[in-house]
Amino acid sequence: MIAAPLLSVRGLTKRFGGLLAVDELDFDLSAGEVLAVIGPNGAGKSTTFGLVCGAIQRSAGEIILKGARLDGLPPHEVARRGVFRTFQHNMAFKGMSLVDNVLIGAHRRFKGSLFGVVAGFGADTERAERQRAIELARFVGLGDWLDADIATLSFGQGRLLEIARALAGEPKVLLLDEPGAGLTPSESVRLFAIIKEIAARGVAVLLIEHDMHFLMPLADRVVVLNFGRKIAEGTPAEIRADPEVVEAYLGNIAKDSTGAGAAHAAG
Amino acid sequence: MKSFLTLLAALLALCALGFLLGSYESDVYRKLLLWIALGLSFNFLFGISGQVAFSHFVFLGFGAYWVAISLVHWDLPLAVAIASGLLVAAVAAAMIAIPSTRLEGPYLALATLALGQLFLLGIASGRDLTGGDSGLGGYSLPPILGFTVKGPWYTACIVLMLGLTYVILDRLDRSSFGRACRAIRDNQTAAQAMGINAPRTKVIAFTITSVLASLAGIFYAFVDNLVAPGAFSLESMFILLFMVIVGGTGRQLGAIIGVVVLYMAPFFIEPLIGHYHFMAFGALVVILIIYKPNGLVSMFDPILKRRRMAALEKAQL
Repeated sequence: MIAAPLLSVRGLTKRFGGLLAVDELDFDLSAGEVLAVIGPNGAGKSTTFGLVCGAIQRSAGEIILKGARLDGLPPHEVARRGVFRTFQHNMAFKGMSLVDNVLIGAHRRFKGSLFGVVAGFGADTERAERQRAIELARFVGLGDWLDADIATLSFGQGRLLEIARALAGEPKVLLLDEPGAGLTPSESVRLFAIIKEIAARGVAVLLIEHDMHFLMPLADRVVVLNFGRKIAEGTPAEIRADPEVVEAYLGNIAKDSTGAGAAHAAG
Repeated sequence: MKSFLTLLAALLALCALGFLLGSYESDVYRKLLLWIALGLSFNFLFGISGQVAFSHFVFLGFGAYWVAISLVHWDLPLAVAIASGLLVAAVAAAMIAIPSTRLEGPYLALATLALGQLFLLGIASGRDLTGGDSGLGGYSLPPILGFTVKGPWYTACIVLMLGLTYVILDRLDRSSFGRACRAIRDNQTAAQAMGINAPRTKVIAFTITSVLASLAGIFYAFVDNLVAPGAFSLESMFILLFMVIVGGTGRQLGAIIGVVVLYMAPFFIEPLIGHYHFMAFGALVVILIIYKPNGLVSMFDPILKRRRMAALEKAQL
C-alpha cells in the first residue's frame, strides 16, 4: 500500500476487569482495501469493532482516521466522521419501513434545522435521499421488498439491509461483523460481489468473518487474533501457510471436510 | 397541496361544529379538542420517541396555572403571559429532560411519576398563588385586539391550536428527526452507530412535546376560567396513555381515534350502567387492546396499503 492509511489503530487495548480482551493491537486500513479480522471465538474481534466504533471505550491506545483521533468519541460522532458498521445480529428498526431503515444510515446527511422542518423546508432533500435509499436497497438486492414489513424479511435479507443502511451514510470505513453468517449460497455469492463493489468505490472495508472459503478470495489482507493479541498479519496465502495460525485457528477447520460448517457450528 | 387542503377542510369542519353545539355540548367538545391535542403530543413523546414519561399533565397544568396566575396575580398582558409561559415550559422541560432522559425504561417513568405527584402537591399547597385545592378562578380571557373572544369563536381558537399542534408534529414525524426518534425507540445502539445523537434527540423530543402540552394548558385555562388540581391528576395521565395505546401507538391518526373513542365512551356507557361505568371503561380498554393489538387505526391499514401500492405502481410507470 503506497497511500497513507485511512484508519490506523495503535496499541489498542481493552481490559474487562482482569481479562485482556484486546491487547496492544496495531493495524492499518487503506481506502479501497478489504481487511479481514479472523480468530477463534473470544479472540476479541467483536470487541475490536466496538472499540473502533466508540461503542466500547478503550483502556489504552489510539484510533486515528485521516490524522484525527477517533478514540474517546461517542458512537454517533464516530459515525458522523464516516465510520459505519453492521451488527453480528441483525439490528433492524422493526417499527419502520425498509426504506426508512436505510434512510437512518443517511442521517448525517440531513442538515436542516428543526425550525426549517416545521416551516416546511427540506422536502427536496427528503425526496432525493429517499430515492437514493431505494437505489441502495436495489443495489444490495432488496428491490422487490421495498414495501415489505421488516418482520417478514429472512435472516439473509436482514444482513443485506444492514449493509444498505450503513452504505447510506457514505462511509469512508465500513465495518462488517460476520456479514456472511446465515446466508444461503446464492445470497453469499451476491454478498461477495457487493463487498468487492463497495471496496472498488474506495471504501475501506474491515470484516469479521468465519467462513474461510468466503473470506480468502475477498480479503486483501488478514489480521489473526487469538486471546486479544495479533498473532499474524498478511495476505490470505501467507496466513494459510502460517504454522501459528493453523495451530490456533485454521487447524480445526482443516480437520473438518466441510470447512466453513465447523466455524459456523462453533459460532 | 392536497394534504394541506384536506387539513384546512377538516379544521373548518371542526370550527363549524363548534357553532352548532349548545353550551353543555360545547364544553364537552372543547375538552375533547384539548384531549386530542394532548394525545397527539403524548403520542410523539411515548409512541414515536419511545419515552415512557408521565409528565404530560404536569406541563398541561403548568401552562394553565402560569397563564391564570399571570392574569390574576401579576396583571400581565395576555401575549406576555402566553409567551413567557411557553418559554418557561421549554426551559423547565429541558432541565427535566437532560437528567431524566438518560434514565431508561422504568426509571424515566418513575422519575416523571414523582414529578407528577410533586406538581400536584405544589399547586395544592400554593395558598393564594394557586388557590390550593379549590383552584384559581375569577379571571377571563382578555379582549384580543379589541375583540371579546367567546363561545364558538373561542372553540375556533382551540381548533386553530389543535391544527398547529398537528402540523408541527406531523412535519417533525416525517422528517429525519422523526425517523431518528423512531430509530432510537426501536434500537438505540443501532441508531447511535448510524450517527444519531440519542440523548440530544430525546431531550429535544421531550421539550417540544412538553411545550405543546403547556400550549394546550394555556387554552384549557379559559375553557372553565378556572384551574384546579383535579384536572391534572395522574388518573388523567393514565387515561391519556390508554387512549394512545388503544388508538395505535406511534401513529397520529391512531392518537386521534383513541382519544375520541375513549373520551366519548363514558358518555354512552354511564347512562346505561350508571356508577359502574369506570369498570366498563376498563373492560372496554382491555377488549380493544386484545381485539386490535396494533390499535384501532390498524383497521384502516388494508386501505392505506392499497393506496400506497397504487402510488408505487404509478411512480414506476
